[in-house]
Parts: sequence; structure tokens; C-alpha cells
Amino acid sequence: MAFTEPVLTKRIPLDASQRKLIGYDDYVATGGYKSLKQALEMPPADIIKTVTDSGLRGRGGAGFSAGQKWSFIPKEKKGPHYLCVNADESEPGTFKDRYLIDHDPHLLLEGIAIACLATQCDIAYIFIRGEYHYSAKVLEHALKEAYAHGIFGGDGVLGSGKKVECYVHRGAGAYICGEETGLLEALEGKRGWPRNKPPFPAIAGAFARPTVINNVETLMCVPHILERGPAWFKTMGTPSSPGPKLFGMSGHVNNPGVYEDELGITLDYAINKLAGGMKGGAYKASVCGGISMGILGTNQLDIKLDFDDVRFRGGCLGLGTAGMIVMNEHTDMVKALRNCVRFYAHESCGQCTPCREGSNWMRKILDRILDGDGKAADLQMLMELEKTMGIMPGTTICGLADGTAWATRTFINKFYDEFALRCPEAPTKTIPLKVSSGRLNVLTPMGSNTR
Amino acid sequence: MPKITVDGQTIECKDKQMIIQACADAGIEVPHYCYHPGLSIVASCRICLAEVEGVPKLVPTCQTPVRDGMVVHLNSTKSIANQKQVMEYLLVNHPLDCPVCDQAGECNLQDYSYQFGRSESRFEEAKQKKPKKDVGLHVLLYNDRCIMCTRCVRFTREVAGTSELFVDGRGSKEEIEIFPGKPLNNKLSGNVVDLCPVGALLDKDFLFKQRVWFLKSAPSISPADAGGENIWVHHNEGVVYRLKPRYNEQLNKWWISDDTRYSHKVVNDPKRLYGAMRTQYGSQVESNYDDAIQQADTDLKRIHKENGDASLCAVLSPMMASEEAYLLGKYIRSIDPAALLVIGPVPMAAEDEVFRHYVSGQETFRIQAEKVPNKNGVTRVIDLLGGAKQTWDEFSQQHPTKLKAAWVVGGYLSHWTGLDAPAPLKKLYKVVQDILPSHLTHHADILLPSATWVEKDGSWENYQNMSQAFVAAFPPRDGAMREGNVYAKLLGRRTYDVAHVRQEMGEPFTSIKVPTISEADEPAMEFVEI
Ligand SMILES: Cc1cc2nc3c(=O)[nH]c(=O)nc-3n(C[C@H](O)[C@H](O)[C@H](O)COP(=O)(O)O)c2cc1C
Ligand code: SF4
Ligand code: SF4
Ligand code: FES
Repeated sequence: MAFTEPVLTKRIPLDASQRKLIGYDDYVATGGYKSLKQALEMPPADIIKTVTDSGLRGRGGAGFSAGQKWSFIPKEKKGPHYLCVNADESEPGTFKDRYLIDHDPHLLLEGIAIACLATQCDIAYIFIRGEYHYSAKVLEHALKEAYAHGIFGGDGVLGSGKKVECYVHRGAGAYICGEETGLLEALEGKRGWPRNKPPFPAIAGAFARPTVINNVETLMCVPHILERGPAWFKTMGTPSSPGPKLFGMSGHVNNPGVYEDELGITLDYAINKLAGGMKGGAYKASVCGGISMGILGTNQLDIKLDFDDVRFRGGCLGLGTAGMIVMNEHTDMVKALRNCVRFYAHESCGQCTPCREGSNWMRKILDRILDGDGKAADLQMLMELEKTMGIMPGTTICGLADGTAWATRTFINKFYDEFALRCPEAPTKTIPLKVSSGRLNVLTPMGSNTR
Repeated sequence: MPKITVDGQTIECKDKQMIIQACADAGIEVPHYCYHPGLSIVASCRICLAEVEGVPKLVPTCQTPVRDGMVVHLNSTKSIANQKQVMEYLLVNHPLDCPVCDQAGECNLQDYSYQFGRSESRFEEAKQKKPKKDVGLHVLLYNDRCIMCTRCVRFTREVAGTSELFVDGRGSKEEIEIFPGKPLNNKLSGNVVDLCPVGALLDKDFLFKQRVWFLKSAPSISPADAGGENIWVHHNEGVVYRLKPRYNEQLNKWWISDDTRYSHKVVNDPKRLYGAMRTQYGSQVESNYDDAIQQADTDLKRIHKENGDASLCAVLSPMMASEEAYLLGKYIRSIDPAALLVIGPVPMAAEDEVFRHYVSGQETFRIQAEKVPNKNGVTRVIDLLGGAKQTWDEFSQQHPTKLKAAWVVGGYLSHWTGLDAPAPLKKLYKVVQDILPSHLTHHADILLPSATWVEKDGSWENYQNMSQAFVAAFPPRDGAMREGNVYAKLLGRRTYDVAHVRQEMGEPFTSIKVPTISEADEPAMEFVEI
């Protein structure tokens, strides 16, 4: 385990005043597009194998093995294949993809070209968040350069005959369009309503054709893996979560920003070594990877930031995007959770009943608690509602509702006293929690809803 | 064929069938809102979820195909907990204004609340308010009752192909909407009201007219065109309140056209004819119905006697039941064996109206251009009887001088004769059976007000030569008589017995199936013991 030099950010100096946009010429001068040439020499299966061997896991949130995802794409081509690059980055606390695109767009384009060769994709769409006006311009410009230099279009990648087209598609400002099938719908010109799976995108994705969907950072790892090999990649990170990772540090830290390190550093290290320590008070909590993953508590500074420790010891949904929102001791956790839940209620696409109605109900309860009208039953209610939503219990179509659930669950569990203080034992109004229909009342994993 | 076990009961399923449909076919109800067998599957309401052994999560039964040996639990703790929770969620923003809602009594939200819900809501925050909207010619939208199943939206896209409705907004603020200036005015618009599982989409025509638990139903056929769409007549105390589609796999599936839907207007039209008339000294006077029939009989026999064969004709309306047309033909030929049988006018639209899926372009529904239900049946009857026959056009163009008297049947849903009595009939002695007043009825020598299709039994043969029976919902009011009964009297029979007439007519009439009302089709109020 050793992180000795920046990988994804090797062209982006830490000193902000030194940073500039890396154009095509600069990129090539610093070794860019070398991996692409290498990839052209390799059969697609070998590229996939190399990426699989590296252990690269998706950086968009779910942490799924990138190589394995590519291997699901049918080998026999019966029509076009698509690659969708997920640059919709809307997860609160996450701003790493923008950082990468704004400074080193060609690294993404190289990753795209390689991924297309590996999965025999004909067209790549970069689905970029609507609010990222500048980044979209940067990408458009870089694409022009790449087309001019024969990376895309024309006679195929660098004249190889394997033609790949690449387009920038701008979102219209909805968090849900970052969910992979919501993205596909939006790309097809429809409402960004996530699809039921199966069928999975690898079989029927964009325009009902096999489609790969990858995060920006995931794809940016690929050229480096090809260039320096899976073994090198595995020297960084932990055995189950190898490689470098960008950490987006924000909140009550002295030096907020994007920092590259390896997976598996501790939260303590991220806050104190990368982000310059706490600001305005002692550490209290930190969102561990976008608010959808939940929150790490006061005594969890030793949690290792990789895909597993956050989950198994940290009690969160996962590492997510590694966008940390660090909070100091003066943070009001009830207010913080209300903000999170308001976000989910606002961004729920509205398809699934539990997510649509549940998130808004929870928001209203939290609003009331903050208005000073909380009562003991409210917390029980919140905890019960939270359990009814998500793809994990199977009650919703997409993972947005899991985000609502995990944020609520971890906030209340880890800061119960703070919540309880706002919800005095003597309730202002009583709501009996038991089912009074005369039917059997058994407490179930999903609360008191039984007959 | 795969077999699955649902709550301990083993059922046979079709390959690749969804669990919910397999259950429905086996008579097991799985609660559902967004699922509809005639629309695409979105699996968004989430009430149909069930526990399947070996799968850690709850699965949407509307979107999960059956697998041989699958064990499904609709009644397990987890499944029930989900049903209750979804019910509670759906009611969070629902206004619960059932006392003033037309859907009350046939509302899935009410029914499922009772069957699958919890007795009280734990929601005590403020409910969301959403506006009412006038979305089209026939349809009103009460947005705050909507549960966002999107059936209506999918219908306008996938069946009507016109895509007027869409979802506006996001999360719990979303609403069903139309685009400005593009109302829901397609000819299938009324179906969204049937599809809506709650009282959000309502039929303006039925609005506040009747509580549904008072309605009785009778299986019937659309009189609007040659399509033969299957319908239910919903009525109470001699008033038809609405027509609803009756599922027919080969014809209309789950849908009917708006032409069909509102064709019952004629039944309770205040202008309808009641009371027989006779002409005395050049003007019509009221008459006892039986006397009028007798008079017609006497007159026709006299005219035939005076003028010999081929002096009589009968205009058989394509609105008549085939059985009635047969009896009238029999009767007229019993007096004058050379009597001419004419098929009445067949109004035609320029062409069929075809509806297509908005993406695939596949045909989903077709409204026939032929705007009468039984041209084929009446034509078949005329051929069956043999002898002299003419179409209306042929009849209108020639003026056979020998012809002296006509028995004319109308029964069209609106005026069919124009301002003037039809030219070829002008000089003839006329016995007229019709339901609405017209120039022709005004100049009839004998006027016999007749019954609409909901007031009688019979069968119609649609454009595909499919003969379908309809059943009387209630008898005609005093002063009107079923055509069939009139002919039975004239032929000296005791009653107009449709089954008997069909036997007499032979194939294909003998094999017509008569639909029955099953209890499930009867909108009945369940009494709840408290
Ligand atoms: C509600 C929701 C929002 C998401 N937003 C993003 C996003 O903005 N960017 C992203 O890369 N992945 C996002 N994801 C994850 C994607 O669904 C998908 O897992 C990811 O793009 C796959 O790429 P990867 O395998 O390279 O990580 C989101 C997921 C959910 C459930
Ligand atoms: S879980 Fe929420 S955001 Fe995801 S599809 Fe369902 S309603 Fe939409
Ligand atoms: S209006 Fe009715 S059919 Fe349409 S989405 Fe709402 S509940 Fe469903
Ligand atoms: S009926 Fe299955 S989710 Fe709605």
C-alpha cells in the first residue's frame, strides 16, 4: 500500500494558481494518448481482462467492478453498442468529476476511446450535469481537438478503422438523471424516470441496445491501468479496493477541495492531512461519500475510506463518491438531516409511491420538529418510514430512495440524543402506533404494518 | 407450462406470464394500481410487491415473470407490511372526499384500504392541495385525488397514440397535465376515466348523476358503429347513466370509443316518441297501441288485396336486431309474397378512424366508418328470406309505380331522414316504427314508437360477420313497444322469444352466445358490519 505520486491529477498541480486547462498538445506532450495506441494493439477481451485484473471499482457510487461490467456486454455485435459517461455529478458533497473535466478533459476522452474499443461501442455520450456550463464548454473544445487529431470519427480511432463517435449531452438539472437508467431515459429525450431492471443496460440500455455506463473518474483510471499495468494499480489502495481515489473535502475544514490519495486512508487522515484540519470547532460527523451513503459519527475517525470498511465498520451504505462533508461540533444534526431529506423529497422523480410520498412526509415531520413541535413518536415514525423505501428492501425502482433511507437512518441512529432532545417524551398530540383494526399486531422488520 | 405456488395454492401459468396476471387468471387478487394488462408495465405504484422464496427483496409481481416452482407469498408478514405502507402513503395526500366523489363505491383506493390498508393514518401534517382541471371535452381531472399510477398517460400514448396527457413536476408535486391548448379530445378519451383507479379522472357526463352502488348492469353491444364493441349498460330505474367497456379479446379489448360511450343519450332523450298514432281524416291522432297495430295490419292487407303482389315493401333498418328484421320480413311476405325488402340507409364516415401506438405505430383501435351496428345482419336476413330486395340507394333512385305501401323502421341514434320524408316513401301508405320524431314519423299513417337497443333482446352482426347478442336492461316505457313484440302480435305468436326466433332462422344465428352478468361485473355495494 503506497501512494507515491498523483495519478489522475498528475497534470493538475496542488497549487491552484499553477493550474491550467490541459489542451491536446500539452496532454500528448505529457504522455497522453499513449495508452490508446496500446489499446488498439490489444484484442477487446484483453483490455477487459487488464481492467478486471486491476480490480478497478466504479467511482460513481456503487463501486461495481468496471471490468466485470464491461464483460456483460454481448461479444457478438448485432447492432450498435453505446457508452454513456456519467458526468451528471449531482450528489451533494461531490465535485470531483468537475475538477477532473475542468483541468484534464483529454484524460477522460482517452478513457472513453479505450472503453469503446474494449466493449465495441460505436457511440459515446458524455451526459454532463446541466449546471456544469463551463465544464461542458471545456469538453466540447477538447472533443473538437480530439476529432481534429483522429481520436474520434473519421477513419476510426487513430486511423484504425474502428470508428467511435463522441458527443456531449447536457442534462437539464435533475439529480435523478445521474441514476444510470434515469440518465438513459433523459438521453433518449424522455423524462428522467429510472427504469425497472431487468433488463439491465448491458443488454438493453440506450435505445434498447447494449450500453455501458461509467463514471468520469472510473474511465479516467483506465488509461493509467493500461499504461502501467494492473499490478502497479494494485500497489495503491486496499486489496478489495485498489487504486487512487479523489476525495472531495468540504464543510468545516480549513482547506476544502479535491485531493487525490489512495483508497483506504482513514477519515482522520483525510480531514487532518488532506484538508488541513477542522475549522471552527472539533470534529463531530462527516458525510462519507455524498449524503446518500449516510454519515460517519463522532467516534468513527478511524474508519478506512474504501468500499468496504465504511460499510461494514462504518455503518454506512458505502463509500459512494467519496465526497466528504465534514461537520464540526456546532452543527445541528436535526437541521442537517432536514436539509438532506428536503433534497430527496425535491429530487424524487415521483414514480414510486414510497419514495414520492415517504420522503415528503419525512421532510414535513422534520420541519415540524425544527419548529419546536417534535414528539417522541416522530422519531419512531421516521425510523419506520425510512425502512420502507429503497431498492434494498425492494420497494422502489432506483437507489435514490436508499439514499433517503440511509441518510435518515445513520443520522438518527448516530445522533439519537440530539434528535430526542427536540422530541420531548410528552407528545404534543398522540398518535397510537399500534394497528387498531383488530387484526394481529406483530412488530415486523418493516414496523407495525401487519394484519 | 410452469406451475407456481401462491400462498400455498398451486396454479398453472402461461410461459413468461407475469406473476400478477397468472394470479388474476387463477382468481387470486393481487392489489395493483399501475398494472393494467392493456398497457405497458411501469411497476411504480409498488403495492403489488410480494415475497418470493429465495429472493431477498420484495419483488413487483406485475413485472416479474413466473418461473416453474416459484413460491410466492402475498400474505407473508413482509408482503402485508408493504401493502399497508403503500396504502398509507397513497392516502397521505389524498383528500378523502369520498362523500362527494363519483368514484366512491368502485374505487380501488377505497376497496384496497378496506382489504389491505390500515385502519388509521399516522400522517398528521398538512396535506398537499392540487387544482381541479378541465382536461377535455368529456373529462375532468381532480388532481389531488390522483395517485400517479400513470395509466392515463400511458393510455393516451400507447392506445390512443395522441399523447395529450403527461406528468408535470417531480416528486410529490407532480401532476397530470395537458399541454396548453391541446386538450384531451381524442375519440377514445373516455377510457381514461375507466382506467383511473381512483376518482381523479371523471366523466363530465356522469358527474354527480348517480352513486354507483345504485347502478345495475346489462351486457350489451355498441349501437354506434359496425365495430360491435362490447359494453355494459349501467342503469337504474329505467335510466341509463353510463356505458362502460366490456372486455372482448378479439374486438374492443378493454376500450370503447366515445361515440359508443355516449350513445345512450338517445335512451333518455326527452324528445323520444311515446304513444301510438293513427291518421284519421288527414291528421294524426293518438291511439291505443294495440288498435294501431291492428289498423296497420288491416290496411296493409287491404292495399295488397286492391293492388296485388309487389305492392308492399318493408324498409329494414340496420339498427334493428337481426331477429326482428327476420320477423318483419316474414310478416310482410305473409301478406304479399312478392313484397320488396329494402335495407335502410347506412350512414358512412369518410373512412375508419385508426389509432396507433405512439412509437411502434402498431394499430391499437379502429372506429368503423360504417355508423350502424347491423348492416351485415339485416343483409343476411334479407338473403335468408330471399325474394325481391334492394339497397336504400337503389330504392331511393327508382320509383316503382306498383308500390303502394311501406313498413318503415328507423331506430337511428339521431335524425336520419333529413328535413323531408325520404322521397320514395312520400306517396306511399306508411307504417313507421321509430324512436325519435322526424318528418317521416310526422307523416306516418300509423306511428308505432319503438324501443332502443337497451330495452330489448337481440343480436347484431358486426363488420367481421361476428354475431353478438345484447340483453335488455329494462323494458321500454309505456307508449313504446319492442319491434319484436309488434311482429309477434301480427304473426299471431304469444311472445317475442329471441331464442326461439334464432332456432327458426338456423345457423349462424342458433350459435350466438348470450352474455350473462356475473356477480363480479355487478357494481354492488358491500355492506360492512360495524
Ligand atoms: C439517485 C442516484 C444518483 C446517481 N448520480 C450519479 C452521478 O451523478 N454520477 C455518477 O457517476 N453516478 C451516479 N449514480 C450511480 C450510477 O447509477 C451508476 O452506478 C454509475 O454511473 C456507474 O458508474 P461506475 O460503475 O463507473 O461507478 C447515481 C445513482 C443513483 C441511485
Ligand atoms: S426510488 Fe424515487 S427517484 Fe427512484 S425511481 Fe422511485 S420515485 Fe423515482
Ligand atoms: S389521473 Fe388517475 S389514471 Fe391518471 S395517474 Fe392519476 S390516478 Fe392514475
Ligand atoms: S401494480 Fe405492480 S407496481 Fe404497481
